Amino acid sequence: MVEVKLENIVKTFGETVALKGIDLHIKHGELFTLLGPSGCGKSTTLRIIAGLDFPDKGRIFFDDQEVTYLSSSERGAVLVFQNYALWPHMTVYDNIAYGLKIRKLPKEEIERKVKWALQLVKLEGFEDRYPTQLSGGQQQRVAIARAIVVEPKLLLLDEPLSNLDAKLRLEMRSEIRRIQRELGITVLYVTHDQEEAMAISDRIAVMNVGTVEQVGTPREIYEKPKTEFVASFMGKTNVIPAKVVERHGDKVTVEFEHFRLEGLTYTDKSDKVVIVIRPERISLHPIENAVKLEGKVDLIEYYGFFIEVVGMFGETRIIARTISDKDVMGLRPQGPVTFYINKDDILVLPKQL
Amino acid sequence: MKVSKWSEKLFGTPLFEPLVSFSYLFPLLYIVVFLIIPVLAMLAVAFSHGGHFSLYWFKSILTSSYYVQFPPQGDFAVRTATATGETVYLIRGIDFGVVINSLVVAALVTLLASLMGTIFAFIMARYEFRGKNFFRIVLFIPLLVTPFVNAYVIKKMFLDTGLINYIFYELLHILPFRIKIDGLAGVVLAQAMTYYPIVYLNAYASFINIDPTLEEQAENLGSKGFHLFRTVTFPLALPGIAAGATLVFIFSLEDLAAPIVFQGDPLAKKLMSYQIFSKFLYGLGERSPEIAALSIIMLTLAVLAFLGIRKYVSLRQYAMLSKGGRWKPRVSKPRAWQAAIIYVVLLPLLLFTIFPQIGVVLLAFSKQWSVTVMPQGFTTEYVKQMLFNPDVRRYIINSLMYSAAAVVLIVLLSVTSSYATSRFKGILTPVLESLVIIPIAVPGIVVAMGYFYFFSQIFPNTPLDPTNIFNFNPAFVLILAYSIRRLPFSARSVYAGLQQVHVSLEEASMNLGAGRWKTVTGILLPLISLNVFGGAMLSFVYSMSETSVGITLGSLNMQYAPITAFMKDIMMSAAGSAQLAAALGVLLITVQILSIVLVNIITKQRYAFIGLT
Repeated sequence: MVEVKLENIVKTFGETVALKGIDLHIKHGELFTLLGPSGCGKSTTLRIIAGLDFPDKGRIFFDDQEVTYLSSSERGAVLVFQNYALWPHMTVYDNIAYGLKIRKLPKEEIERKVKWALQLVKLEGFEDRYPTQLSGGQQQRVAIARAIVVEPKLLLLDEPLSNLDAKLRLEMRSEIRRIQRELGITVLYVTHDQEEAMAISDRIAVMNVGTVEQVGTPREIYEKPKTEFVASFMGKTNVIPAKVVERHGDKVTVEFEHFRLEGLTYTDKSDKVVIVIRPERISLHPIENAVKLEGKVDLIEYYGFFIEVVGMFGETRIIARTISDKDVMGLRPQGPVTFYINKDDILVLPKQL
Repeated sequence: MKVSKWSEKLFGTPLFEPLVSFSYLFPLLYIVVFLIIPVLAMLAVAFSHGGHFSLYWFKSILTSSYYVQFPPQGDFAVRTATATGETVYLIRGIDFGVVINSLVVAALVTLLASLMGTIFAFIMARYEFRGKNFFRIVLFIPLLVTPFVNAYVIKKMFLDTGLINYIFYELLHILPFRIKIDGLAGVVLAQAMTYYPIVYLNAYASFINIDPTLEEQAENLGSKGFHLFRTVTFPLALPGIAAGATLVFIFSLEDLAAPIVFQGDPLAKKLMSYQIFSKFLYGLGERSPEIAALSIIMLTLAVLAFLGIRKYVSLRQYAMLSKGGRWKPRVSKPRAWQAAIIYVVLLPLLLFTIFPQIGVVLLAFSKQWSVTVMPQGFTTEYVKQMLFNPDVRRYIINSLMYSAAAVVLIVLLSVTSSYATSRFKGILTPVLESLVIIPIAVPGIVVAMGYFYFFSQIFPNTPLDPTNIFNFNPAFVLILAYSIRRLPFSARSVYAGLQQVHVSLEEASMNLGAGRWKTVTGILLPLISLNVFGGAMLSFVYSMSETSVGITLGSLNMQYAPITAFMKDIMMSAAGSAQLAAALGVLLITVQILSIVLVNIITKQRYAFIGLT
């Protein structure tokens, strides 16, 4: 178990700046996720922590030891590759035993540990198979077994589920969580899937074009996004351009279309803002102390376990989500509709994108 | 923490690692010392006159009518008669002077070879017809390389009493008179027939690799027939065809076998390769600046062709679109007129182009071949001589040993250079990439001359000094020459193998604690062993039949000479028997067939490729 610190990590590839000064602090025994769209620098960060790439600037610490230029083989931060990187000329057993043989463990101990790892990933009896004889999910579990069998200080997972089908992905997701809890190791997880990140992580760092936008628990990230990017990246949400027209301390009045919303919390200097409202926080029936928005129905979309109502408010489209059929009875396209929103559910953030 | 700015710049990895440095520096220094410096040594000689830097020799060559002659001299065809009074048209070509002749011959050979190679490749890639398997097998035969004897048989084919006249004049009466092809025209024919398989292989691979959906889309939009070929198929295959054509151009430029075989006609001697060769042999021990200058001119032409094609192909690296999906080859049945062309034109043409190999085998077992269509009489005399004559056996053993030693070096060079260039991106990467492939563009006779100047200057009066007439031992020099000249074949194969191994397989190993050495030997080498083996066999086969250096430096001390030097001696001396050379040719063919079969069985690859890109 190890604590990882990144200080001002900068990395360029030719002309492109992949990382623009990353600071991160990953705590003992935590499952920490780097989340972001492709090209945001999350995999580069992971490779730098694994010692497969080296930063142009900045330092990396494992506990109090600086490891910035320690080679991958000496670092003990073991990576599970996105494509699993199983050696096709070795059996499952030999793949898993590889790291133990490098560490020159006695033969019996290697056998014992490989057996233990195979049990952990539920692949007993597959020792003599070759990787090509395994399904995607099995290969993935061999890759995990190969990594954990050497008892790494830090386990790194690079989009480990991206090559699996939807059902298997869910299964493996809880497997990874289970194994991490059982072993109590520090895990750094990289994904572009916000749902996966929320389900699995203790904490998440949301990354965008080479910077960390926000670090926090899944709940913090989802409910209290600090930037427009984080808000819009975490699931379907309403992001409405608006501007600040009045300020009283940290309370402001903002305007979009012909609507004025008063008494919202906002502290940034910029007057160009966005209003962020989660669709499921918009009510279609009256609630107390709510902001009322009157518009007309553009679309009603049926998703099975919920229904979305797309309202037009002037030129602005706002989506509301409900699980109640009653809420949408009486609504019809082009007909009138009223959205009710609790002020606490309206976030005002500086316009960024 | 051994962070090194130098390592990062040069090798593209900030951690200084001995194995990575070695992978870069060993092949780099090897090629610089044993190819670049010898060529520069020659340059120094070529550009000096009276102890000063001077363009004298270049001026003297390019202004002499012996080397450059406009308008050309001589008649393309001359009418003569046989002893029995039949009309014979003797076709020899015309004389533009040595330098221009070489260019004209190389251009014509390239044109003919490209035409034949592309047509055969296209019908093999796109048509399904009866006897296609026969074509497939037969097309493999012209690939078998037999220095000198091959050209010798071709010369016999085009004699006034040869196979061509027999069929077209005596049997079919298509020709109204006999023809005889000699001189430069003979060289063109011999080289075109020998080298067209190179274009064939490259073109075939190109046609096969075209994503069928690209052609289907064109058809879908209304294109068909020749229009489809002209607008989509051919342009997509052109980079491959052009790469093959360039190889043929360079090979023709440097070829010595055909001019030596046709040297009975003085016109065939008026080629750069032959001039360098003969001036070297007769001016033995002399470090002639004129030869050096002529070598530089030839090298320049070859390198220009090479760089041109590299530039062109790199500009046209079409990324094929296909992602997943079924790769259904576009094969169709030929229509009646197409079938007619295949059976009436292409089949006989194909059979003519394998006649040299057939002829070599027949000749090896025959008593004599003078003015008849086929060799006469059966004897095993020459095969026995080859197997049991201690002198002949010595040449064979020399060649085997030199080639084997060269292959050991080649494997080491290919693996290190490919590892460095495929896995790291430092400023030395493109340098090394070019150095490894450049030996293809350096004519063998230029390597030979470069070594001659280099070793006589650096190691005078030692066994490495070629001017040290009685003590020179060419073994070391030949092994070096083979290892340089045949390196590209193996390096390409190993590099291709490395590209198929995802780099994460090595990263996973190092990430789990293995060092660089353990990762390379435990993970990488087992995964690319087939590519290494295939490349090594190819390099071995072509080392055995190496001609230019073998018949120049190699023949300076016959005690240590390779097979090819001995074959040249037989072919050049009036007393020698072509049959013995043919027997050695059969031996080379056997070695080649065995290697190719072995490679095919072990690596399951269909062809051993000769290519450029």
